[in-house]
Amino acid sequence: MRLSRISLATVALVSALTLTACAATTASSTGAAVDGGTIVYAHQQEPACVFGGWIEQAYLSYQVLDNLVSLDANHKVVPWLATSWKSSTDGLTWTFTLKKGVKFTDGTPVDAAAVAYNFDYWLKGGNSTAAVWLGGYYQSAKAVSATTLQVNLSKPYPRLVDNLTQGYFGIQSEHALTTRTKDQNCASPIGSGAFIVKKWNRGQDIVLTRNNKYTSWPANALHTGPAHVKVIDWKFVADPTTRVAALQAGQVNAIYDVPAVQWKTLKTSGFQLDRYVTPGRPQQISFNTQLGPFTDEKLRQAFAYSLNRKQIVDTIGQGIIPSEGNGGVSQATPGYSKKAADWYSYNPSKANALLDAAGWTGRTSAGVRTKDGKPLTVILPYGAGSIINADGAAILQGVKEQASKVGFDVTLIPVPQSELFAGKYGTPQDHDISVGYWTAVTAGILYINWRPSTASNPNYSNSAYYNNPELEGYILGGNSAPTVAAQNADYEKAQNYIAQHALAIGVYDRLSTLAVSPKLKDVWQEHAQGGPTFYDAYFTK
Amino acid sequence: MTAVSTASVVTPPLRLSRLPWGLYAAGLLGLLLAIAAIAPQLLATHDPYALDYAHALRGPSFANWFGTDESGRDLYSRIIFGARESLLIGLGAAGVGIVLSLILGSLAALAVKPAAVVVDRVVEVMFAFPALLLALLLIAIAGPSALTEIFAVGLGTAPGYARMIRGQILSAKNSGYVEAATALGHSRARIIGAHILPNALRPLVAVFALSVGQSIVWASSLSFLGLGVAPPSSEWGALLDAGRGYITQAGWLEVVPGLVIVAVALAATTIGRHLQAYLEKGEK
Repeated sequence: MRLSRISLATVALVSALTLTACAATTASSTGAAVDGGTIVYAHQQEPACVFGGWIEQAYLSYQVLDNLVSLDANHKVVPWLATSWKSSTDGLTWTFTLKKGVKFTDGTPVDAAAVAYNFDYWLKGGNSTAAVWLGGYYQSAKAVSATTLQVNLSKPYPRLVDNLTQGYFGIQSEHALTTRTKDQNCASPIGSGAFIVKKWNRGQDIVLTRNNKYTSWPANALHTGPAHVKVIDWKFVADPTTRVAALQAGQVNAIYDVPAVQWKTLKTSGFQLDRYVTPGRPQQISFNTQLGPFTDEKLRQAFAYSLNRKQIVDTIGQGIIPSEGNGGVSQATPGYSKKAADWYSYNPSKANALLDAAGWTGRTSAGVRTKDGKPLTVILPYGAGSIINADGAAILQGVKEQASKVGFDVTLIPVPQSELFAGKYGTPQDHDISVGYWTAVTAGILYINWRPSTASNPNYSNSAYYNNPELEGYILGGNSAPTVAAQNADYEKAQNYIAQHALAIGVYDRLSTLAVSPKLKDVWQEHAQGGPTFYDAYFTK
Repeated sequence: MTAVSTASVVTPPLRLSRLPWGLYAAGLLGLLLAIAAIAPQLLATHDPYALDYAHALRGPSFANWFGTDESGRDLYSRIIFGARESLLIGLGAAGVGIVLSLILGSLAALAVKPAAVVVDRVVEVMFAFPALLLALLLIAIAGPSALTEIFAVGLGTAPGYARMIRGQILSAKNSGYVEAATALGHSRARIIGAHILPNALRPLVAVFALSVGQSIVWASSLSFLGLGVAPPSSEWGALLDAGRGYITQAGWLEVVPGLVIVAVALAATTIGRHLQAYLEKGEK
């Protein structure tokens, strides 16, 4: 009798959970705008600070801080805190003219001196990603007048302003940075943005309130004046199914990172769905070229040929996640090389021939290739839930299984966020393959990911551990070429070089996705990184 | 010299015809699981790791009894192949828990006073933490893996069993037959080895059976949280974890592994309880 009761209770519980998750409640909107209100937004990951070098921080700081410039839907740089900008003829000096009368929320002015201070602050460790973007090019910044800023470079960098549209380059109050503690600036940076950090309940949410004195909206905003809504409750809900269920139940108004399998259901139920294919480095596989089996180019190429990446991605991604062949940059990046993307098609025969030629001719009873008695085992750690989401993890399982058909034994190691960010599996000694993305607005991301790493100037983002002057030459040429066409030509050479030597191969393009309640209007994804923009958002009755 | 029997327990004869049907069902499930763990290929219908993207997320059918997952892998075969890992973790964790609790419980009951008090306090401190929290602590230190999971769950269950064993030993220590053995001049070591431990530890057989079910559930919980074995393992908790993203579109990915875990835990509990009742009957 006891058994029956327990079994029935279990079945009832499972059924209730399933039915609850299935119940979509999408209220229809009458269309009339409501002033004020609270947007409850469920985001996937909680960063350590509001401002910093991780995209999850950029998404948040974008609500609180203003940048010098913004990127519009056509990939054109438009004014934000800066009304205009120009480069000297030698490309080494940039002059920005700032809006007049803008103040940070602590009452201090947004002037050229404060902005110049921010440039130095980023380079001195204030923002690791801003630092790697500017490093090697930035020399100094100085205030020529209250509204005129001069930025001096050591080498020409015509796409500097494009890069400044990213959230890593949000401008903070110099007064706040110099007088408050590091922890205070981490938890509630002071900017001139549309919202102010009111409270951070660690592990739960960040409450942002409207900046009623907001005067510095970007040129591509949909309205002028302060934000429509009064509060954003930016919740952290790690589980994608829970986020979707909360949206369907009306507990939240918008969610981030919509699982591919839920896309159709939400669309049919009337939710607004936004999808942004992130420019920059795609979700790719980089091979360790310094230690282990992948020091042999034939093995790298064999691995690439062993995979039917498009089939895996199209199935798991349900047509929402784009497959990507290019290991250098994603298809959303200006200057993308289709040739590099198409370099390796699925060809297990070729993979087997390359492995044979490389001397991996033996087999274990499990079918793993061996050479001199050593099995072809390769270690593939990945940031589970942080860098690689649930769809990505399923795609990597497909990679493992397909590679096993030609004799690779791929060991997948899901690494928790805390361990990953603490540097675990961050050296050539502890892995053979690394996966991951890096968002960018130009192919200049190649410089960050492929700049040679030297003792005096280490590059921790060179995950293939590949130092090559020819490749570096193409990238440096692209960074400093005077025209976009010339830049793209050099960047394409770099991508083709990466493909030819199978240093990295693309798998899929990272997406930034949003699902929004029909009652909430004018939520849009900013165009530099795809984060949610709530400044223009308003509720309807 | 006259041999004096000091044993107090007589095991009653086992009558198979009087055993309840639930026990037979539990035994049958146990047998199937044993086959699945030892020779899964005898029961599986597909390669559990073979990708079949053309048949991804298909519901239960004649071709795929429990349906397929997001990569078209056969769920039934994955569950069968996952039995070995799940059972090994369950049995291993139960074993670690029992051994650890045996050491702690025996020391707390039999060691000289200062040492016994220290062990007692250690057990109480361990008791102060919820078992799952203890397990999480170990995983945080050692990193997620099947081996860590075994030790983590074993560590989590040990304090409760240690307390029980201590009580059993103290009860045996103060029993009449131990007094009789002492009066006969038997050494302390002989009394412990021949009289106290065999009598005090008889319930451990039942406790072990109960512990296996509990350990499987706990280990599955840890795997569900992503703290167990690495993908693409088909350990049952890992299957639950992998399936939760598809619960609204492919509910079978969540329901079937969940029901299997429940069934196995119930089977282990049923066997353990009947074993316990059988042994207790013998003590009366």
